[in-house]
Amino acid sequence: MSLANSQIRTSDSGRRVLILGLGNPLRGDDGVGPRVVAELRRRGLPEGVEAVDGGTLGLDLLYLLEGWDQVIIVDAAILGRNPGEFLRFTPEDAHLVGSLASLSSHSAGLAETLALARALGRALPEIIIYGIQPERMDWEEGLSPAVEAALPRLVKEIRKHVMACSEEGGKPERPL
Amino acid sequence: MTTLNVNVHYVTRVEGHGNIVVDVKNGEVKECRFEVVEAPRFFEAFVRGRPYHDINHIVSRICGICSVGHSTASVRATEKAMGVELSEQAWLLRKLNFHGEILDSHVLHTYYLVAPDFFGVHSVIPLVETHREVVERALRIKKLARDLCAMISGRHTHPCALVVGGFTHTPTERELRQMRERLVAARADMDATVDLFASLPWPQFERETEYVSLRKEDEYAFIDGVIVTSDGFTYSVEDYKKVTNEYLVPFSTAKWTRHNRESYMVGALARFNNNYEQLHPRAKEAAAKFGMKPIVKNPFLNTAAQVVEMVHCLEDSIRIIDELLVRGVREEKPAPVTVRAGEGVGACEVPRGVLFHHYVYDERGLCVEANCIIPTNQNLANLNADIRALVPQILDRPQEEVRLLLEMLVRAYDPCISCATHFLRVEFV
Repeated sequence: MSLANSQIRTSDSGRRVLILGLGNPLRGDDGVGPRVVAELRRRGLPEGVEAVDGGTLGLDLLYLLEGWDQVIIVDAAILGRNPGEFLRFTPEDAHLVGSLASLSSHSAGLAETLALARALGRALPEIIIYGIQPERMDWEEGLSPAVEAALPRLVKEIRKHVMACSEEGGKPERPL
Repeated sequence: MTTLNVNVHYVTRVEGHGNIVVDVKNGEVKECRFEVVEAPRFFEAFVRGRPYHDINHIVSRICGICSVGHSTASVRATEKAMGVELSEQAWLLRKLNFHGEILDSHVLHTYYLVAPDFFGVHSVIPLVETHREVVERALRIKKLARDLCAMISGRHTHPCALVVGGFTHTPTERELRQMRERLVAARADMDATVDLFASLPWPQFERETEYVSLRKEDEYAFIDGVIVTSDGFTYSVEDYKKVTNEYLVPFSTAKWTRHNRESYMVGALARFNNNYEQLHPRAKEAAAKFGMKPIVKNPFLNTAAQVVEMVHCLEDSIRIIDELLVRGVREEKPAPVTVRAGEGVGACEVPRGVLFHHYVYDERGLCVEANCIIPTNQNLANLNADIRALVPQILDRPQEEVRLLLEMLVRAYDPCISCATHFLRVEFV
């Protein structure tokens, strides 16, 4: 269960891909990341691809990003879209709004982790983000109907993406 | 005459949302308080109706930092309610896992949240440019602590192998030996940590209060024990409500507590003051570098007490691994549970202080009532009393300095007001 790099299996193509679901399942749609991870694990993933529930890790995300060729992050994201709509993008495509001036350990997330990694000059894997527009993130279990309804399509698309990566052994097509 | 108006709407580098409000007109303090503005979270309601084996996994999500602490308090409450006895090996692993989390959380607080104040930066990220070695060291210790937790309970945040009755997974002797080597090698980083923090100009401020913590006869208490206070009281953990006496104040959504005085303090400093004698000799040496011996009455030094505990946890982790290796590690399943109606209280010294989980189960093993009292709530009255005592002493200083000192005071308590959500905010370029 440890994520020590030695234990990561290598895919046929040699590319090691991590799917990382972020969020808290007890905060409504914030739990979409861990939920997607659970669904992907249930359906099975190709050799060399692992799905991990990253919970609310904060800056410790840095350690999880190490040792992979590609990391696919699934997270609730304020996209200005309708609830349940999702987009695939890279950190370079988007300006991830972090709170660098007021970093707290909990609210530290992906934006801050990437900033820290860059400041330290750490080599990062290729990162692809699936951001899903949430409807509500109150203290409650389960996803809103809109996000729940989008789940099968989202899981299908991520599976298609990693299958393509695994088969081609190369880079996935350009993100949206 | 002095007029001050400090209004920090959300103190940064603390967990969750709290405000500092200070209003001084013509030298007279009109208002002076720390407000908690988070919505209540009703975890007690979440777990009602759930089977006993689900509860610890749910409550581990109360906190993304001390999830081992919440899980441990939770399984202890359930184990007591159902009369489950742990094996000696499971006990050693619980303690080792707990040390990993204390180490992890204390690195986070001391290096990421407190140190930037002394280096004049707003977060740990700009620190990379000026003090790269400090940040690298913090990351190294943190990774070690995380790996220690993951080795035992499967993953650090929200442990999956830590269950009622013990663990579903046992680390191998090889893994334990490798971890021991890393812990021994980390002594150099720990020495550097003590030297760094002992060299910082800690604000001078003292106020008498009551310190509350767990205590055990044979070790520096983190899991179980009795409740003791520096005013000389002792209670069984089942009597926790005699200590906490929760009550409400109008400007806080979190409950306050009091015992023998208007407030009491929990956390690393309370543990240090109450259980100093049981610290590892190396931890006592570290305390000497800060000039600390009980009773320490300066709340800013709660952070220093955390550094002392980091040394203790590192050394005690090495000792526990040695004990495990001498005994010989064997694969074991969690102790069997005979489901019955019952009631139990789990008490742990989590990074921020004593934590209580109290559950009542019916004969089917479903939770019918739950009560969780977290350390930050217990510290709120004390923090407010400190603010009220500190402000009149620093009225003559510039407003910005007053503001910074008050923020530092709040941060010294390492308050964990909530686990914020984690979503991304995205603007496309």
